[in-house]
Amino acid sequence: MSEPILQVANLHVDFQTYGGVVQAVRGVSFDVCAGQTLAIVGESGCGKSVTVQSLMGLIPMPPGRIHQGSAHLRGHDILASKIIDGQDIRGSQISMIFQDPMTSLNPTMNIGSQIAETLEVHKGYSKSDAFARAIELLDMSKIPEAAKRAKQYPFEFSGGMLQRAMIAMAIACEPAILVADEPTTALDVTIQAQILDLLGDLQQETGMAIILITHDLGVVARMADEVMVMYAGEVVERGGVDDIFYRSGHPYTQGLRLAMPTNNQDTEANQTLVAIDGSPPDLFNPPRGCAYHPRCPYAMQVCAEQAPPTRTLGADHQAQCWLHHEMAGALPDGLVSASKVGQ
Amino acid sequence: MLKYFAKRIVLGLVTIWFIASATFFGMHAVPGDPLAGDKAMTAQIRANLEAKYGLDQPLGTQYLIYLGNIAQGDFGISFTQENRRVNDIIREHFPISATLGILAIVFAGLGGVLWGALTALYRNRWPDVVIMFLVILGISVPSFVVAAISQWSLVGLNLATGTAVLPIGGWGTVWHMLVPALVLGLSTMAYLTRLMRSSMLEVVSTDYIRTAKAKGLPATQIFSRHQLRNAILPVVTVLGPAIAGITTGGFVVEIVFAIPGLGRYFVQAIQQLDYTVIMGTTVFYGAFLVFMVILVDLVYGFIDPRVRVEK
Repeated sequence: MSEPILQVANLHVDFQTYGGVVQAVRGVSFDVCAGQTLAIVGESGCGKSVTVQSLMGLIPMPPGRIHQGSAHLRGHDILASKIIDGQDIRGSQISMIFQDPMTSLNPTMNIGSQIAETLEVHKGYSKSDAFARAIELLDMSKIPEAAKRAKQYPFEFSGGMLQRAMIAMAIACEPAILVADEPTTALDVTIQAQILDLLGDLQQETGMAIILITHDLGVVARMADEVMVMYAGEVVERGGVDDIFYRSGHPYTQGLRLAMPTNNQDTEANQTLVAIDGSPPDLFNPPRGCAYHPRCPYAMQVCAEQAPPTRTLGADHQAQCWLHHEMAGALPDGLVSASKVGQ
Repeated sequence: MLKYFAKRIVLGLVTIWFIASATFFGMHAVPGDPLAGDKAMTAQIRANLEAKYGLDQPLGTQYLIYLGNIAQGDFGISFTQENRRVNDIIREHFPISATLGILAIVFAGLGGVLWGALTALYRNRWPDVVIMFLVILGISVPSFVVAAISQWSLVGLNLATGTAVLPIGGWGTVWHMLVPALVLGLSTMAYLTRLMRSSMLEVVSTDYIRTAKAKGLPATQIFSRHQLRNAILPVVTVLGPAIAGITTGGFVVEIVFAIPGLGRYFVQAIQQLDYTVIMGTTVFYGAFLVFMVILVDLVYGFIDPRVRVEK
């Protein structure tokens, strides 16, 4: 594994509301390496988007507050300042694409100018040079007739085309990291595949890292090198993509996997989908101990009392669960133990 | 695009015809007529006058004659002002009202956008609170009160400084126009400020502003290129009707500041049932407003590309 370019440690993000303090992110740490794809998965409201938006400075403050933790991009503290060497890292070092391309572009500005804008700001291009480059970028993002399309407005584009334009905009300054916040959720399935292919191709060409936020495990299987599973603002399991899919060590990860439809013809095809019981935790008052214990089918007494320690299950594979403790009984089916994995 | 505006103009003409007809029949439904003044006249004189002005004809015939004349751009001769053609009254006095009105609209538009954007930027902080208080005041206080107070203040100012800083009434130079135009535009400015504020607050929380931030654009550029242009759209939309309000509502301000605009004739004519002047001024104002609304739509197309493409 290469040297990480982004290191996030023990990040805590709160929102002060009239109803109290929402603890959206509670101690998240991760590293991102060049050329790798880190997928962050979890149900709605588990803090995936807040984590990356706090790194991008997109959280409105107040009510938002980063009250603990650090984030370093190549050694620079990016929580303290988004400016490195007089340049805003947003758009140049880290760029972002969003869930809904239909509303994420300015409706009164043509597509080319919106892409050109980043180049003018970060690279000091002239207006005409930036527009010419924008056309090349649209072409790289596989938009046909890019020169003509660049002069059009967002309402003249389809959803898939808009997401391509967003990608063109995001890669304009050759960022080290591309954050994709549910990039395919608003698109139909065939377009989803095209967008994911495009992201994969661009990553191959530029060597950028991708942080992919999604709740679609199919997308994870296709794109990710590493996976981080979040629940209630915490990381419950992390590991390589195969660790998460074939050797999951946390009951929540297992629950997500069982809730996913598959078209395998063997064993799992005949099984009915299993929903995870209960509802997401109340982040005004996160449960004591392990946040997942009220919904966990294997919960023990200790789970409700003490937060579980992080257990290493293999190379770069960790889970936070009491089931892996020496004093816990035999592991339930489908969960993998530290001893079984080995090195 | 051309086809679209050709259609708009035809519809505009239909609107003007409707205004003319409604005014014509409404006016004739009012009891009395322009000859029912305080001067006693014999039946013979009255019959002669009626014949001269065509009032002895059946209403339908009068209507058709009238439409014919309007179509040729002839509004006839005033009943109450000896030998004055309505066209001349409009030609002499409308430019004054229009100048005042346009200046008021410029004040209202610029002020509304500026104050609205400011209040949104300083939401819930003191500039917002102060401006929004003044806005409520501007909307609630009628223009004749504001006109009188500002004129009184001008008198005080001129007395205190010993020179005529600004004229307190009349018409002629740019200095005569400033205060009346401000007063005339005030309530519209207040309304536009509120509109701009809410539209600005809406735009600030949209996804594309988040995208602009994620692109690392400087705050000034986000404001000028992304927020302002989108937030201004609803303001432009109401500018058309706002022009209507200002040009027709101008007569109070015109009277307080002794400005020889068209508004006074408009009101006088109705009081005296001066048929031709009522018709002339109403149809003329109506046509002016229809034209302004079409103009605003044209401008709108330049700001919002989504409207531009419509065939």
